Amino acid sequence: MFKLDKISKSFDGTQVLKPCSLEFKTGETSVLIGPSGCGKSTLLRLLAGLIQPDLGTVFFENQPLSPASLIFQRRRMGYVIQEGGLFPHLTALGNITLLASRLGMTPIDVAKRVEYLASLTRLPMELLNRYPGQLSGGQRQRVGIMRALMLDPPVLLLDEPMGALDPLVRYDLQEDLRAIIRSLKKTAILVTHDMGEASFFGDRLLLLNVGEIVQEGHLDDFITKPSSPYVTRFINAQRMPHLIARTAGEACQ
Amino acid sequence: MISLLLPSWPKTLAICLAFFFCLVAKPARAAEPPGVAIGSKSFTESVILGEILSQLARQTGAVVSHRAELGGTRILWEALKKGDIDAYVDYTGTIRDELLAGELPASSPVANNKTNDFQQLRAGLQKHQIHLSMPLGFNNTYALGMRETLAAKLNIKTISDLQKQPGLALGLSDEFVERKDGWRQLASHYRLPQKNMRTMNHTLAYQGLVNDSIQITDLYTTDAEIPFYQLRVLEDDLAFFPSYQAVLLIRADLFQRAPLAAEALLRLEGKLTSTAIAALSARVKLEKISETVVAAQWLRQNLEPNLLVPDDDQSARQRRLLQRLGQATVEHLFLVVVSLLAAILVAVPLGIYAARHDRMGQIVLAMVGIVQTLPSLALLVFMIPFFGLGPTSAIVALFCYSLLPIVRNTYSGLRQIPPTTCESAEVIGLSAWDKLRLVEFPLALPLVLSGIKTAAVINVGTATIGALVGAGGYGSVILTGIRLLDIPLILQGAIPAALMALLAQYLFGWIEKLLVSPGLRLNR
Ligand SMILES: Nc1ncnc2c1ncn2[C@@H]1O[C@H](COP(=O)(O)OP(=O)(O)OP(=O)(O)O)[C@@H](O)[C@H]1O
Ligand SMILES: [Mg+2]
Repeated sequence: MFKLDKISKSFDGTQVLKPCSLEFKTGETSVLIGPSGCGKSTLLRLLAGLIQPDLGTVFFENQPLSPASLIFQRRRMGYVIQEGGLFPHLTALGNITLLASRLGMTPIDVAKRVEYLASLTRLPMELLNRYPGQLSGGQRQRVGIMRALMLDPPVLLLDEPMGALDPLVRYDLQEDLRAIIRSLKKTAILVTHDMGEASFFGDRLLLLNVGEIVQEGHLDDFITKPSSPYVTRFINAQRMPHLIARTAGEACQ
Repeated sequence: MISLLLPSWPKTLAICLAFFFCLVAKPARAAEPPGVAIGSKSFTESVILGEILSQLARQTGAVVSHRAELGGTRILWEALKKGDIDAYVDYTGTIRDELLAGELPASSPVANNKTNDFQQLRAGLQKHQIHLSMPLGFNNTYALGMRETLAAKLNIKTISDLQKQPGLALGLSDEFVERKDGWRQLASHYRLPQKNMRTMNHTLAYQGLVNDSIQITDLYTTDAEIPFYQLRVLEDDLAFFPSYQAVLLIRADLFQRAPLAAEALLRLEGKLTSTAIAALSARVKLEKISETVVAAQWLRQNLEPNLLVPDDDQSARQRRLLQRLGQATVEHLFLVVVSLLAAILVAVPLGIYAARHDRMGQIVLAMVGIVQTLPSLALLVFMIPFFGLGPTSAIVALFCYSLLPIVRNTYSGLRQIPPTTCESAEVIGLSAWDKLRLVEFPLALPLVLSGIKTAAVINVGTATIGALVGAGGYGSVILTGIRLLDIPLILQGAIPAALMALLAQYLFGWIEKLLVSPGLRLNR
């Protein structure tokens, strides 16, 4: 689905992403994880074409991202950021249908799709006429996901979609989101710095540190075969007793 | 629902443009032979002279318009050169120091060779295709004056005569004391011994003369107060004060276009004395008789025995005032609405451009800011060669003043949008135009509207400058009020202007409710 060929990115002379080549396969959920400022969002924004790499090329469905075709390529990606990135001047419904109605979807199809997505994300229909300012964080997040799914894109790019939610809401939304991704067979790339969330979603985890992919693979590999002491430290820092116990046991051997 | 919130912009734009051009397009001037336009400055003497000239020209069958109470010498001069007016009265000193400044060989401030001086002015004006008449007969310059009774008792006729009366007290205006050809030079020129000198406001000085707390004051030789307070103007026997002889400036082409009218204007040469013009001013300012009537009465007595003098009954004046107020309202609205619409059409795109282009944007903002600092009179003088007298010049000036608030608010309205919101718009696949139209502009709209509101309210106030270039509006009512020291008349212009500003404020509050998404009003 995505192929990154020797891409690198600097801001104001400091390298934020060191040269790397990567692939995200169709139907696979990948999780980008790492400490704050390590370049996760930067990587995701490169995939969405919001920023251009200094060197290298991003391929989407075997086509390089190019200014001319970017609009159309983006319509095949759903992008969700913290708080949903909703437009405050439009109602939830306005946010969700903004592009669809521009692209000539009939009102009936739009209504059907909205109803379907609302049931999928379990958002009460009556909330759709509210403005983002009148919704709770979790509700906004669901609207953001509905907006991303409106055009039924094959890919979902999710940048800390559960960032500022309380644990219970977060738990529900995680369940729902994973169900959606799996049932709709989407390719998903999710950014988080929560190991638990990462392992819950991810077939494949990518741990970043200062612009570099330190380790890539399944959570178990991170615990049993850490590529560096940094990986172990990162996992321990999550304060997840069962993980710590396992790594500690490892260390004793 | 979305389409309700967001009007379809291209269509709105087209309608606005069409509206704007309908309003600005002037009907072509019909060929009505021969048309003569007379100008006057915004003080009573000048308006009376303008009326006299207008009526003289009208007697020859010409269609005459009197562009009365224009905003100053430069504006009249530019209008005369452009051909928006054909003739007006100015003063030799002003022509030398302002109109032809830098174009004449230097002359001493104390003009000793007057005929030579006059020939120089005439030649200087000729270069601009302007004919200079012979002096009309009066000299409007500084002078010293005292009460007639006291002057007679002390036998004082000239300024030199004051040398014998060291005990007299002077009350002089600030301006006269400050001027470089003011009191100090005058005293040394005439070796005046008086030590008791105070500066005071002109009105107070007249009061002081009446109750004898001062005996001498400075005045203009044609002040309306001279006959009213029965003052004697002391003769400037040692020729200290510069000469401000009233003269007619006539476009040379008027002698071909309307020879009869042009010659008729020249009949005024040598016909007016200082005493006569002061008496005419006094009738207007102090007896509140209209300039038209005063001018007609004088003409009937002196030049045109058959002229019909219009009657000046109070109810007709009252009606005229109401009519004038209605007309002023229409004119004022016209100036404000047209200039504002034009400013919106230009400033909003400029603001968008500035928000998009960092460096050029700063330049745009700086330039728009500089325009704002130009004094309105300077801006108007600059406009006249291009747009002439009338609403167009005023509208262009108002347009310039309206740019800054709208450009700046559009700019900051767009800049304050969180980058994540912009990215969301981009990343869902909106085209650049749709992104601006559907997301960024609606988000900037509250600020854009408040910029427009600021411009509108400022515009209502500033549109009073329209009067300076003969565009009418409340400014002309206020200007007349100031000229005649008529407080009720000033208020008749000022209060409606204030009400209109309030109305604009209210109207935009309403427009904001209508256009700004309720989703944006939640957050405040
Ligand atoms: N537009 C930009 N200009 C300059 N520096 C930037 C820009 N965007 C990101 N950076 C820098 O790049 C680095 C990586 O940023 P990025 O947003 O990718 O971090 P992140 O991994 O998403 O962090 P977090 O978990 O806090 O969201 C940071 O040091 C950040 O300061
Ligand atoms: Mg981030």
